[in-house]
Amino acid sequence: MTLLRGFARSSLRRRLGGGLAAGMAVLWLAASTVAGLVLRREVAEVFDSALQEVAQRVLPLAYAEVLARDTDGATQRMAPVGPHREYITYVVRDVQGRELLQSSDADPLRIPRDLPPGFHTTDRLRTYTEAAVQGTIIVTTAEELTHRRAAVMRAVAALIWPLAALVPIALLGVWAAVRLSLKPVVVFRRAIETRGRGNLMPIATEGLPDEIAPVATSVNALIGRLRGTLEAERSFTANSAHELRTPIAAALAQTQRLIAELPDDPRCERARSIETALRRLSRLSEKLLQLAKAEGGGLLAETPAPLGPVLRHVIEDLDRQTACGDALDVSIPPDGGPPSDLDPDAFAVLARNLIENAIKHGDPHRPSTVRLTDGLFEVSNHGGIVPADQLMRLTRPFERGRTTAEGSGLGLAIAAAICRGAGLSLELTSPIPGEVDGFRATVHLGSGSAESDTSTRR
Amino acid sequence: MRILLIEDDPVLGMAVRDQIVAGGHSVDWMKRLDEATDGIHAAVYDLVLLDLMLPDGRGLDFLKALRAAGDVTPVIILTARDQISDRIAGLNAGADDYLVKPFDLFELSARIGAVGRRYSGNPNPLVTAGDIEVDLAARSVRRSGKSIQLTAREWALFEAFVQRPNVLLSKAQLEERLYSFDAQIESNTIEVYIARLRKKLGADAIKTVRGMGYRLGTPGSRG
Repeated sequence: MTLLRGFARSSLRRRLGGGLAAGMAVLWLAASTVAGLVLRREVAEVFDSALQEVAQRVLPLAYAEVLARDTDGATQRMAPVGPHREYITYVVRDVQGRELLQSSDADPLRIPRDLPPGFHTTDRLRTYTEAAVQGTIIVTTAEELTHRRAAVMRAVAALIWPLAALVPIALLGVWAAVRLSLKPVVVFRRAIETRGRGNLMPIATEGLPDEIAPVATSVNALIGRLRGTLEAERSFTANSAHELRTPIAAALAQTQRLIAELPDDPRCERARSIETALRRLSRLSEKLLQLAKAEGGGLLAETPAPLGPVLRHVIEDLDRQTACGDALDVSIPPDGGPPSDLDPDAFAVLARNLIENAIKHGDPHRPSTVRLTDGLFEVSNHGGIVPADQLMRLTRPFERGRTTAEGSGLGLAIAAAICRGAGLSLELTSPIPGEVDGFRATVHLGSGSAESDTSTRR
Repeated sequence: MRILLIEDDPVLGMAVRDQIVAGGHSVDWMKRLDEATDGIHAAVYDLVLLDLMLPDGRGLDFLKALRAAGDVTPVIILTARDQISDRIAGLNAGADDYLVKPFDLFELSARIGAVGRRYSGNPNPLVTAGDIEVDLAARSVRRSGKSIQLTAREWALFEAFVQRPNVLLSKAQLEERLYSFDAQIESNTIEVYIARLRKKLGADAIKTVRGMGYRLGTPGSRG
């Protein structure tokens, strides 16, 4: 039953084809049964009429024959006109039951005596009896019931047999018709299946049948609303960033001018403290905005693109700001790597946070490794081992482990939130596999599922 | 260098303007794109510092229009939009550099210097003219190993010669350099500053091409 349900659920075409063929077969069988019943009644009527007619025709002939006889007591058997199977036989008897005359095939039937006038049915015969000359001559015509049944069965069989050929033909016809009718639906389904996870462009609705077109319209309306929501969210994040960064930039720039213009005295020292606090505020606001964006959605690109060029930009930018070029061992495929549907901005934030994390907490005398390969983004740094229990907690906001390095404690939380939102998997390992120390963050870019996880290995 | 600053935030704009002036450059500060469009058609700038979100439009559109008109003035974008896609869009639109707010004023000065040197055809900040050694990044001048102090206006003029060592600069071009120092440019201002530079660097440091302008000399060299 479960198998049948599974079969029916698996394909609309199969469900329609199977249902229509089964329905047609059942209807055909029901019609054949009704036709068989009607046929049996009609055949009975026709054969009864024939029995009665034969009896009524034979009776005067038999009477004339009996009167014209020279001898009494001998049964006369009518010779057949030609070889044939006699379906209706008759026997003429006198009042004592002696057989006076009978048809050629009457013997084997053993037509019973003393049958009441009119129609009568025994267990094997259908008979008709008619008497004449005050009941002295009795004619009984008989027919085997099996003959009638066989005639009806043959007729019904002739009705049913075509079904054996008709069902496969009907199945084929239904399959072809359904396939043709559902072609726009299949095209619609493929259009949804083949698009990237982040593709929120409307689906083409041209050529869809009336039954499906409203579904496509609704799907497009839903996609449009989702797109609008994500764009509003992006716009809000971008505007928030602008509104927050500009006053911080103004305060920082004015403070720096103040430091430049003040003589080297306690006032200048105070201004430097303000500058340090503003820098910290700037970093924290940037990280909080990144975390808000990472947790908000819109992390998938509509069109997949290689991540290599984005990673090069991120490293170039980091190098310009922190002169970290010598501290990084970077490996990016020359062609930029395979296309990914991860949003380039989201990947830039992810990569920047993982690289900053490696530079900040890694051994300053050994380079950190940044590797982008087919379906994998990996950032490793040498340095102390992170215990397994802390490794688990590092992706929580403001979790800083045992490090004394300056930081917001949000970098790995942002990376984990991006991976979670984009359906990617982030793996944190310490020590680096095959090494005695260090920390490695690996993003599996190829998973592409809606689920994601953050795993740790020690 | 004469720099056009397009920034609508008054507090930030003021600090950036002061930093540019302190760096020995002249600056025109515009707060709207329509003012900036008029300004760039009226004067020759060596560099544009461009904010992207302005009250009357997007800085990116201004930049695209500038490039479409064939204007190759170097542009550094100053913006609070930090997304990598915004950065790529800015560079693709023809920006020479991109600085995300909040930025360090000293980093801004370094970027201004780097872009200026790149466009002068000599990205190397160390320039030698005869026995004069100039470090454009450190803004230092030495002659025969001896350090020479220049004022902001003297530096603004001298930098123009050092950036284009073999180019003849007209008096009008040199006046552009001093135009934004909030001082009246008199008819003999350039001659006064040229005289001061010759006094500090040597009479042969700057050559006069009569009736046409001035060019950098090769002091201390024979012939």
